[in-house]
Amino acid sequence: MPQPVRAVLAAEGDLHNWAYAKFAGAPLKVYKITNPWRSPTGVLPALKTAEKSIGSLSKPSNIIIHLRKQKYNADYDLSAKEGADTLAFVSLLEEKLLPALIYTQWVDSKNYVDVTRRWYAENIPFPLNFLLPNRIHTQQLERLRLVRGDPTLEPGEQLEKELYHDALECMTLLSQRLGSHKFFFGDSPSSLDAYVFGHLAPLLKIKLPNGKLQQHLNSLDNLRQYCTNILLLYFPSEGKEPPSRKVSVHPEGSDFDSEPHKRRNQILSVLFALGSMLGYAILTGIVSIQQVQAQPALAEPHHVDERGEEDEEE
Amino acid sequence: MTLMLSVPLTLSNFSCYSPVCIDSSHFIMSLAAEAFVSQIAEDQILLSDCASSLAVQAYLRMCNLPVQVSYRPNAEYMSPSGKVPFVHVGNQVVSELGPIVQFTKAKGHSLSDGLDDVQRAEMKAYMELVNNMLLTAELYIQWCDDNTAAEISRPRYSSPYSWPLNHILAYQKQWEVRRKMTAVGWAGKNLEQVYEDVSQCCQALSQRLGTQPYFFNKQPTELDALVFGHLFTILTTRLTSDELSEKVKSYSNLLAFCRRIEQSYFEDSQAGSSSRGYSKGPSLF
Repeated sequence: MPQPVRAVLAAEGDLHNWAYAKFAGAPLKVYKITNPWRSPTGVLPALKTAEKSIGSLSKPSNIIIHLRKQKYNADYDLSAKEGADTLAFVSLLEEKLLPALIYTQWVDSKNYVDVTRRWYAENIPFPLNFLLPNRIHTQQLERLRLVRGDPTLEPGEQLEKELYHDALECMTLLSQRLGSHKFFFGDSPSSLDAYVFGHLAPLLKIKLPNGKLQQHLNSLDNLRQYCTNILLLYFPSEGKEPPSRKVSVHPEGSDFDSEPHKRRNQILSVLFALGSMLGYAILTGIVSIQQVQAQPALAEPHHVDERGEEDEEE
Repeated sequence: MTLMLSVPLTLSNFSCYSPVCIDSSHFIMSLAAEAFVSQIAEDQILLSDCASSLAVQAYLRMCNLPVQVSYRPNAEYMSPSGKVPFVHVGNQVVSELGPIVQFTKAKGHSLSDGLDDVQRAEMKAYMELVNNMLLTAELYIQWCDDNTAAEISRPRYSSPYSWPLNHILAYQKQWEVRRKMTAVGWAGKNLEQVYEDVSQCCQALSQRLGTQPYFFNKQPTELDALVFGHLFTILTTRLTSDELSEKVKSYSNLLAFCRRIEQSYFEDSQAGSSSRGYSKGPSLF
């Protein structure tokens, strides 16, 4: 009997993993969190399994392998050739589409500043909201440089043109392969559908200032229809708020999360300011603590002995 | 030189560069003669570059375009993108299989015109699969496996240069490739996992090929050239262990495929030498 698995996915999500789990029918409990430090593996997404020996997994391929071992396999009905095609198309997407997607979100200056960084700053708790987006930005740029073999690469027109050209071609190829079918293989979705949906759906839903990829995707009717179809069938509750990077946490959740932190931060900062002012005042002598004189006054009505002692001390 | 506007590129003005050093001076020689001269000095070419180079040569031969192979030790630096092989036609230089295919297509030679949209999408996907898995696995084995790097890759790569340049360049290349492996997420893999990935890739190719003579219809395409380039090189290259070639050998239809292409497109250039002649003798390394 397959064990139920508990999944901790961020809103930022690997939608790909979530979609695969839905297609395979794995019973997942999804937690939308915005703080990667609260995830069991320290990064998002993460899958927390019921087995103690495995613990938690983060790498998407590991997550899918684990689900398969638990007998949740979306590719069960595929023929050998279709399985081979899946591998090939996933390679194609990884090589051609993924770099452009990452570029458009994390490296392209306008998109990064206006949308991605702002979203992170607003939704992730202190202090990660300062550190995380910048770190991811530099990491992705570094990675692009390494993969293309050019250490002097800078985000700009030329790079954008090359990346987008490949990505647009890839999307057109996908569209041609999909044709008018409901899913890529047969009547039920497979891991390839999970991958394609996981990467294209956010592109459809997030509004980016520099939206060339989005425009092209919108122009490919069958792909757009395909994504909306899967959204309706498998993610009906998210219909109003698509599980994209933009609208992440449940509205109540986000308020609840951010308010106590905000309050706490305010109180802390006021206390800190007061404390430093007081300290400065004491050190420079503006304010001095007249403890010795105050005590006898207080003690007078009760302890005549004490007062005597204190008078001697003075 | 008859490269006129009205005449398509069917004349012998394609020359293909690979980084092999022979006597530390360069030779321009036709494919027929290279089987004899190739083992004079310690060869510089490595598995991954040889595979890419063979893929381009196979593709050009499939297009019936005569090609001259030229060996230069600094071919990497001559290439516009830093990768070999590259093709020098007239005053144009084009590197890597993808751009070369597009270049020849622009000149009117194409192998994939007969494919419909779905097939073309599949062809591109499988080409990416080979690049993604086979090429990366070859690079990994050459440079990230300490045994192979020390015994084979570094000595070969640095053979044209004298001390200390040979050490510097070899280690620099190794460092560069290792960083790239980290960027694509292969740094955490061990050798067994890499062999497993190669096996998976070969299985996918074998399943796609099935019992057909070529991947699409009865005519070869650039995918056939690419697969041939990599598989043939893997089969005919001696590394520190035979496991890589064993993985490929376990798929009989892929073996038959390689032999078929070799016989159809490369045998005519062998001046009576053995069918493995192209690979420069029984062992490439």
